[in-house]
Amino acid sequence: MDCVELQNSLVETADASRAEQRAHLKTCPACTALVAELNLIAHSASLLQAAEEPSPRVWNSIESALRREGLIHPPRAESRRVPSFASRWGHARWLVPVAAIFLVVLGISIRPRPQMPVQSAVISPQRVALGSSAQALAGLNDEDLLQEVSDTAPVMKAEWENDLRNANAYIRDAQAMVDQNPNDEDARRALLDAYEQKSLLFEMAMDRSLP
Amino acid sequence: MRTAKLVAIGVIVVGTLVAESKKEYHFTVGPKAGVSVLNPYGSISVKPSSNNTVVVNAILHSDKVEVDNNQSGNRVDIESHLLPGADAESGRVDYELLVPPDASVTLHSTTGPLRAERLHGDVTLEGAGATVDVRDISDAHVHVKTVNGPVTLDNIKDGHVEIDSLSGEVTLNQVNGPFVQVVSTSGSINYSGDFGNSGEYRLTSHSGDIEATIPEWTSADVSARSVRGQVSDDIPLQPKTHNWFPIDKGRAFAGTMGRLATSSTVVLRTFSGKIHLRKRSDK
Repeated sequence: MDCVELQNSLVETADASRAEQRAHLKTCPACTALVAELNLIAHSASLLQAAEEPSPRVWNSIESALRREGLIHPPRAESRRVPSFASRWGHARWLVPVAAIFLVVLGISIRPRPQMPVQSAVISPQRVALGSSAQALAGLNDEDLLQEVSDTAPVMKAEWENDLRNANAYIRDAQAMVDQNPNDEDARRALLDAYEQKSLLFEMAMDRSLP
Repeated sequence: MRTAKLVAIGVIVVGTLVAESKKEYHFTVGPKAGVSVLNPYGSISVKPSSNNTVVVNAILHSDKVEVDNNQSGNRVDIESHLLPGADAESGRVDYELLVPPDASVTLHSTTGPLRAERLHGDVTLEGAGATVDVRDISDAHVHVKTVNGPVTLDNIKDGHVEIDSLSGEVTLNQVNGPFVQVVSTSGSINYSGDFGNSGEYRLTSHSGDIEATIPEWTSADVSARSVRGQVSDDIPLQPKTHNWFPIDKGRAFAGTMGRLATSSTVVLRTFSGKIHLRKRSDK
């Protein structure tokens, strides 16, 4: 019995008491956690008073729990399932959306605006300085990345270290170019590209287990 | 002694064969279906099927990995599910998929290789170290992300192509479309083709070399710039009257070639790499 079969079988035997269900649960922590949560929901539901209509928050909680477990899916054209990410990085996983938001903001701030008159397209010193502190603002910690690679794929550490060094050099060069000439469209675009390259490095290290 | 060795080898071979298992899944889908495969370790290859069926053949290299599959309407999700103790070897699954040619395909594998061919739905391939090979795709988005895996795109027509790679070598053969972009940090970028008609082509790197080999009859508005490296071109370009960046000889060039009405915009940028615009020899 695999995970999908187990989840399907829970419709009939919710407490996972069948022998084949128990056999699968012995080897699969994810399904064990799912069954435990379902049991908790069932137990909590029995304590609810019949006369009391649950608040929308209850339904939202149930819905989000079911989404987390993958039992229902939001109506999206594309969905990605990356199970190792949250468990591997814990609270640090929020660094990725934070970094992504920051990159979007940075992108908006340095994206060329061809329709604007030349005078108004000049980037203020403050805006340019944003790039130099971008890494710290985004919370991207190089040590975390290298630690992750050391833990999961020590043989590849040197290669990733080199990629990280090169990505940082790219950012430094692009930033220096922007500082030198804030109106240089190439420089602004290069800075965005450089940050995206570094972001890619983090995304790859955190999203999936390395060989 | 020799017999003992043979027995040992036999045990290993038999053990491997016993541990390896094959699974096959079939899904019936409608037009423009979505298919995704998430496979931490192992190859994924996608080819077109002749009907509205998605066929998944999986070779599991041990019992420490399972294949989870799920169909939700017109979407099929396949995922290698690693069990406790699985590693790159025992957690490996090799997939071969047949999908309707108009399906959108998303493939993830850290190790790869990843391969997609003869499709006209959108293709997204990601893998840190995966070798990526995409060929014979038309009228579709092709998105590739790798850290150090080499990327090869061959015969992509009318594509919206975006490739991001840190250090993998990127090779584009006969790739054209309204938008083609490659961003690399240290990997080299090689383009061979004619830059299509009226598209935008951006090949940029930090330290990787960029080489574009094009036929003499190409129509393009080309600008190349290397901050610290050298640029060179074998093809005479009509100089432009106005450039918004300084043309330092040996560091930058800009100009047009061919028919302006159908020309594509070609932007080649690097910080310390070399740029070479090369004339293709048709002999």
